[in-house]
Amino acid sequence: MSSNRWFATGNYFTSYKEEQRIFFTSLDRSAMVLLILALFLWPLFIQVDNKYMLVIDNILVAVVAVMGLNLVTGFAGLISIGHAAFVGIGAYTIACFGRVLGENHMLLTHAWPLMIVFAGCIGAVFGGIVGLPALRLRHLYLAIATLSFQMIFQWTINFMDFFNQGQTISVTRVAWVTGTVSRSEHYTFWYYAILVAIVLVGFAVRNLLRTRYGRCLVAVRDNDRAADAMGMHPGFTKVYAFALAGFFAGVAGALHAYLYRGVGIESFTLSHSISFLAMAIVGGLGTLHGAFWGPLAIKILDLQVEQLSEWVGNHLTFATNLATALKPLSFGLVIVLFLMFEPRGIANWWRIVRSYVKLWPFRY
Amino acid sequence: MTHLTVSDVTLTFGGLNALTRVNISIEPGIITSIIGPNGAGKTSLLNCVSGFYHPTVGKIHYGKRNLTHASPHQISTMGIARAFQNLELFRGLSVLDNLLLARHQNLKYSIFHAVIFFGKASRMEAENRAYVEKVIDFMELEPYRKKMVGNLSYGVQKRVEVARALTLEPKLLLLDEPMAGMNIEEKEDIVRFILDLKKEWGITIVLVEHDLGVVMDISDQIYVLDFGEVIGSGKPHEVASNPKVIDAYIGEE
Repeated sequence: MSSNRWFATGNYFTSYKEEQRIFFTSLDRSAMVLLILALFLWPLFIQVDNKYMLVIDNILVAVVAVMGLNLVTGFAGLISIGHAAFVGIGAYTIACFGRVLGENHMLLTHAWPLMIVFAGCIGAVFGGIVGLPALRLRHLYLAIATLSFQMIFQWTINFMDFFNQGQTISVTRVAWVTGTVSRSEHYTFWYYAILVAIVLVGFAVRNLLRTRYGRCLVAVRDNDRAADAMGMHPGFTKVYAFALAGFFAGVAGALHAYLYRGVGIESFTLSHSISFLAMAIVGGLGTLHGAFWGPLAIKILDLQVEQLSEWVGNHLTFATNLATALKPLSFGLVIVLFLMFEPRGIANWWRIVRSYVKLWPFRY
Repeated sequence: MTHLTVSDVTLTFGGLNALTRVNISIEPGIITSIIGPNGAGKTSLLNCVSGFYHPTVGKIHYGKRNLTHASPHQISTMGIARAFQNLELFRGLSVLDNLLLARHQNLKYSIFHAVIFFGKASRMEAENRAYVEKVIDFMELEPYRKKMVGNLSYGVQKRVEVARALTLEPKLLLLDEPMAGMNIEEKEDIVRFILDLKKEWGITIVLVEHDLGVVMDISDQIYVLDFGEVIGSGKPHEVASNPKVIDAYIGEE
């Protein structure tokens, strides 16, 4: 067997198990291990300002959320405009526990990994319920059904005293083996926690996609009539897709709540839903690594534009109105450009590079 | 071996009768063809059998099981598979994944096994992959195994369609115009596959086809539909000399 898949002329597997593997060669595997190691180790060597660490943490939380959205919208082809609401469900699950049990209850401070998984499960339950219209509705109508959930969610939070009417509900600091995580190490701690979550979730999705539970999603996207004839219930498969997305969103929401040490409605509005959708599109719908590129690209763009508009606001005083409009403007522009020129997202660039290397020195 | 019996089936869309009191009995182990002019109700009949439509009146039985109100995914587990007339493949997946999807019901492991992909999931995937390879081998699809289905030529896609139905391990295979739009060579291939399926795999085949030459050559039993009614049935030579059939196809003098 060729030691490098990138330059191999064909495949030389001798068993089906060999072909199931994620990493075909030891080179691939060690590259991935190195990448993960690098992601874990860099904060030890490079000191980053808390402000930027928060941005990085933010990107990682969005990665988890977009991974879920990618499953339902990219793989199962069901547009969900209520994803931020599912993220909110996860966050408010944590907040609810705080309200009922008291903010510093052991469950929240010590059993926080359990709480995060639990928030994911609650998200999955809500995802399944919201996905129920998928048994009857399709396409745009289903998208509207998810939008209505977003509205119901916002309305409920805004009008219920229990949820502090959408005002921030604070979330406790968590405990670790070294004691309570202090203010100075908070963002770095959560960087690690979220990174672990992403590695687990990423491999889970990768595994899911090579089994019946992943393939059935693509089947209902491509042709639900044929999916029916092949022995899967198309309606329940769609509900399951929503539940899956709800789980990821719930986990992301819980992470968000712990990271910001508070939960408020302003983080889970319709515009967040749309921005999740934009991240999924820019990253590349229907690809696993697209869920990493999308949030990275959009959040960094946001940061750059924010700095630009600050500079414009300071130096070009006549254009301050323009400066405030820069952020939504650039956001919209990026989406339109991607839809026009690269509807398959950034993930497609990776595909192009890979096939180029594989074919080199030939053109095709 | 199980019989498929369609008894007194009437299918109505609004005021239009797509099928009127159709009685068909499909014997196991042979090739039964259903022919008829355009709009005769051949595909509607197959849709009734495979569960996409439910008859307005009448019953469909497969052995002792009642298929009348079963849905397609239930029927697919009873040993009845269907290849579609207009390609209904999963275009975004490779040939391999298309076929593996047809193994959906045979892959019995929980989602937790799937997530860690260890033990049961991995083993069952490999086992079912072996079955898929058997079908790929039979349908001569080896060169296209990893190709995206949407990018394949029409003839090959038709073959994938049949292969996917076969992957369900059916006892009864419903083929809806498997040769439509093919050239002579591709038709000969498909005919060879159909005959081998009957002989080697022992599968009962229901064939809906427009190419009368092929139908007359390979069928053991033929039903002729016209305007939703069965106007003739029997062995090929009986059907060919049936005046009603000649009327329907050639018209009166």
